Amino acid sequence: MRDKPLLRVENLKTQFVTENGTVRAVDGISFEVYEGEIVGIVGESGAGKSVASMSLLRLVDNPGEIVAGEITYKGRTIFAAEETEDGDRRLQDGVLSAETVRQEIRGNEIAVIFQDPMESLNPVFTIGGQLREFIELNRDLTGDEARKEAIDMLREVGIPDAEARYDEYPHQFSGGMRQRVLIAMALACQPSLIIADEPTTALDVTVEGQILDLVDELQRKYGTSFIWVTHDMGVVAEICDRVNVMYLGEIVEQAPVDELFYETGHPYTKALLDSMPRPDRTVTDLDPIRGVMPEAIDPPPGCRFHPRCPDAREVCRQVHPEPAEIDRVDGFSHRSACFKRDVFDVGYDESPPLDNLARGESERGQEASEVASGGGASE
Amino acid sequence: MAVSSESQVDGGDGASGEVAAKTWRDTLGRIKRDTTARWGLYVISVVLVVGLYAFVDTYLSTLTFGALDSYTMAEAIPIFDHPEHLPAPGESQPNQPPAFHVDGTLEYPLGTDPEGRDYFTRLVYGSQISVSVGIVATLLGTVAGTVVGAVSGYYGGRIDDILMRSVETLYAIPGLILIIVFTEFASGGQRNIQYAIIGVSLTTIPIFARIIRSRVLSVREMDYIEAARAAGVKDRYIIAKHIIPNSFAPVLVYATLEIGVVILIVAGLSFLGYGAQPPTPDWGRMLAQSYRYMHSNIWLSIWPGLAIMFTIMGFNLFGDGLQDALDPRIDN
Amino acid sequence: MRLLRYTLFRFAQAIPVLLGITVILFLFINMTPGDPIRIMTAGQEVSESHLAYLEARYGLDRPIHVRYWDYLSGFFTGDLGRSIHYNRPVSEVMMARIGPTLLLVLSAFLFAVVTAIPLGILAAKRRNQPSDHISRIVALFGVSTPSFWIGIMLIIIFAVQLGWFPSAGLVMPWDAPSDAGLSGYFWHMVDVLHHLFLPMIALGTLQMATIMRVERTQMIDSLQGEYVKLARAYGVSERTILRKHAFQVAQLPVITLVGLGLSTALGGAVLTETVFNINGMGRLLIDSIQQKDYQVVMSVATILAVIFVIGVIITDIAYAYVDPRVTYGEGE
Repeated sequence: MRDKPLLRVENLKTQFVTENGTVRAVDGISFEVYEGEIVGIVGESGAGKSVASMSLLRLVDNPGEIVAGEITYKGRTIFAAEETEDGDRRLQDGVLSAETVRQEIRGNEIAVIFQDPMESLNPVFTIGGQLREFIELNRDLTGDEARKEAIDMLREVGIPDAEARYDEYPHQFSGGMRQRVLIAMALACQPSLIIADEPTTALDVTVEGQILDLVDELQRKYGTSFIWVTHDMGVVAEICDRVNVMYLGEIVEQAPVDELFYETGHPYTKALLDSMPRPDRTVTDLDPIRGVMPEAIDPPPGCRFHPRCPDAREVCRQVHPEPAEIDRVDGFSHRSACFKRDVFDVGYDESPPLDNLARGESERGQEASEVASGGGASE
Repeated sequence: MAVSSESQVDGGDGASGEVAAKTWRDTLGRIKRDTTARWGLYVISVVLVVGLYAFVDTYLSTLTFGALDSYTMAEAIPIFDHPEHLPAPGESQPNQPPAFHVDGTLEYPLGTDPEGRDYFTRLVYGSQISVSVGIVATLLGTVAGTVVGAVSGYYGGRIDDILMRSVETLYAIPGLILIIVFTEFASGGQRNIQYAIIGVSLTTIPIFARIIRSRVLSVREMDYIEAARAAGVKDRYIIAKHIIPNSFAPVLVYATLEIGVVILIVAGLSFLGYGAQPPTPDWGRMLAQSYRYMHSNIWLSIWPGLAIMFTIMGFNLFGDGLQDALDPRIDN
Repeated sequence: MRLLRYTLFRFAQAIPVLLGITVILFLFINMTPGDPIRIMTAGQEVSESHLAYLEARYGLDRPIHVRYWDYLSGFFTGDLGRSIHYNRPVSEVMMARIGPTLLLVLSAFLFAVVTAIPLGILAAKRRNQPSDHISRIVALFGVSTPSFWIGIMLIIIFAVQLGWFPSAGLVMPWDAPSDAGLSGYFWHMVDVLHHLFLPMIALGTLQMATIMRVERTQMIDSLQGEYVKLARAYGVSERTILRKHAFQVAQLPVITLVGLGLSTALGGAVLTETVFNINGMGRLLIDSIQQKDYQVVMSVATILAVIFVIGVIITDIAYAYVDPRVTYGEGE
């Protein structure tokens, strides 16, 4: 076991109340981030990764709300509340006020790099002006000092001729260069933790590689911790120390990266890995995950992955698995929420297999009909 | 570009691409569900029914009475039947107050105008001009603008340049002023309503020409148009059968909103004496007449203004609702 | 530097449009069926020889292209011909009238912008709350109500009934008595505002409502932007986001709208000047048409169009100032 974690999230729940019902976008996730490590959150679109990461800053857009759980950062409580019996939430004492979170946490303690570098920079202000504003806001630098720091940071992230480009506008930068600016913004505030929300998704592959190398290098140099949100297992393999796999608002598997890849515990993780293109395999070896993720507004009963799981059995439809420790590596636990593992004693082995999407003839029939109806719909 | 409204008009254009793909039934369903559009439709229906009633009544009376049209009839009845309501010589207050006034009678719920004609009747008959001119002028402008925009966008090059510069220039003359000057000169000082209608439609051409042109520019590049051209289909046919129907949705939204604007302009024209000529009852004219009686007979000024506002609001509500219903970004 | 070049570019671009305006208006005046001299002198006893003299005096005996050239060159040398009615140079007649119109239109825009932008932002911030609904309803009324009727209602309530404001005329700020001291000048300015207040609101309401609607939707859009999310994540206060980050981006379409609204406002000035009896350009246009003083009509219409074009150029430059992405030349 290591020393105290930098960030500890326990049983975090974030919900969106809409006309059609309550969407449990994040439904009771727990994880830790230790100093100097890169923790991945991986999953398909809509799994709740971004909402989870924004919840850490208490930045959830309307009509979303964090309803329960506890977020502790460097011993300070960013959020702590419990669901009361009548569905309301009750904030606990000692939680930082919204104003304190804004002033003392956002930016200077936890910074963010967003997904879309084309839209994340304000088009009507200069690159330098935006960088300088955040520096002045989050560090004790003003005026020329802040300007100098901004130019240094731009140089640091590999923007050539930084001094001249300081006064240029976002539309004069390419996508990759803008992403570098966003990284400069995050680092310039000298936070202890950076949340990177799919920062390379909008970039092409060569630029993605450059950005990943840059982050790797800077992370080593500054020792900053990262939460790396992505849907790409390849990126996870390249950059992360530990990984949380999210499916439909829940963390279904949690493990150090090598353990996750070689001792995969959850069928969903396995499916994600199998659907990843790799140089040592041909396209025909690719095995995409069947079906689409259901809506978080109406999750399936039992294990949420069971309709798409090749190993699903009757018990998976009836009992909801909580993640349990299946192994320990280097002091970190490997948790998985799948009944296949022996730690669960719910009678998986005796349970009859489910005839679902991921197996058998019925799936083929469905696929065929989908093609037929798909052809009709696109007209 | 002297008048950089392009960004404005084109603003809705990204949306319209997907709009074309939507089926009409889907759109109608959205309109039905949209509260704003529904209320707009109710208001428009009320105004249309009133206007239609007035029109049919006028037509029937013309059949019955020959040359004596029903405006004159409606106006004349109170004077013939109720001489006691005529102003006494030298009386400063020529008209009866409305029903809820101390001396008011239910016979004239809104009182009479300075000539002793029932104000409510005139208000009802006045709807005809506003609504019909609004719709006809918008329709003319839409058709002309569509043709200009389609030709301009489809052929491009020099034709495009000349047409778009002309349209821009037309747009650079403030609308009301263009209409007044056009009406005055085209009619040789007679100020016929027909010329006013043409004048109004002139001012609406630029908007529609621009929308259609930008749509055409995107549609023109589509594969099926290229295929049609390669197959030797005539340009005129391609424009009429493929390009224009494809651009219909955004035009519909703008046309609805434009009807409201046109009614607003027509009211102003009539107020200045460039709309319908007496004895035709018209809301703008009624306001011009009532202007002299502001000090003594307030209601004369109130009712026509409320009627104009009500009508325009109907078209604005419907147009707003239509826009929401057709905008794929706002998905319920 | 960028802005200076853009400014020059925009003015150069406007030249063909300005020429086009003169062509269109010149065509209009020559479209008149019949001889303008006969229309001008209709109802008067004029001998044939005098008619010929008048034709020669106003240059109507020469071919149309020569007359256009004279008109155009006159326009650029400041010689706009003589007014028949006033028997003075047209430029002189207009000089006295342009002040009130500019004062009216500019103050109306000032009123519209100063009220609409905060209200639009407030509505966007409190989206779907009562204050948002109220401001949307107010805006709907604003875009649906004729300005001249608002003027009439304001006169009835605040001038006739309450007697708080004068119902007619404008006082020019520069018309202070020459011997007035500081306090005399102060009271003169109070008088100016006192006269200006009602017409300013009458003319400005439509602009206010239009700007408010656009401000609201743009702010809602802008507040959902990724750059606002980023600013929030870096601890920028909601107040700064509203006033700086979201605000500046949202203003871009609003600036365009203000420029285009000038067209409506110049037309509306004709109506407002009529309602409030203000001796401005609009009133001059209407009176000159009444008096068949076509030389004045042409010049007034041209000048109003030129004012609009210049207004649009100014707002375009303001747009380029706010939006660094504006370049010139390409893409149009």
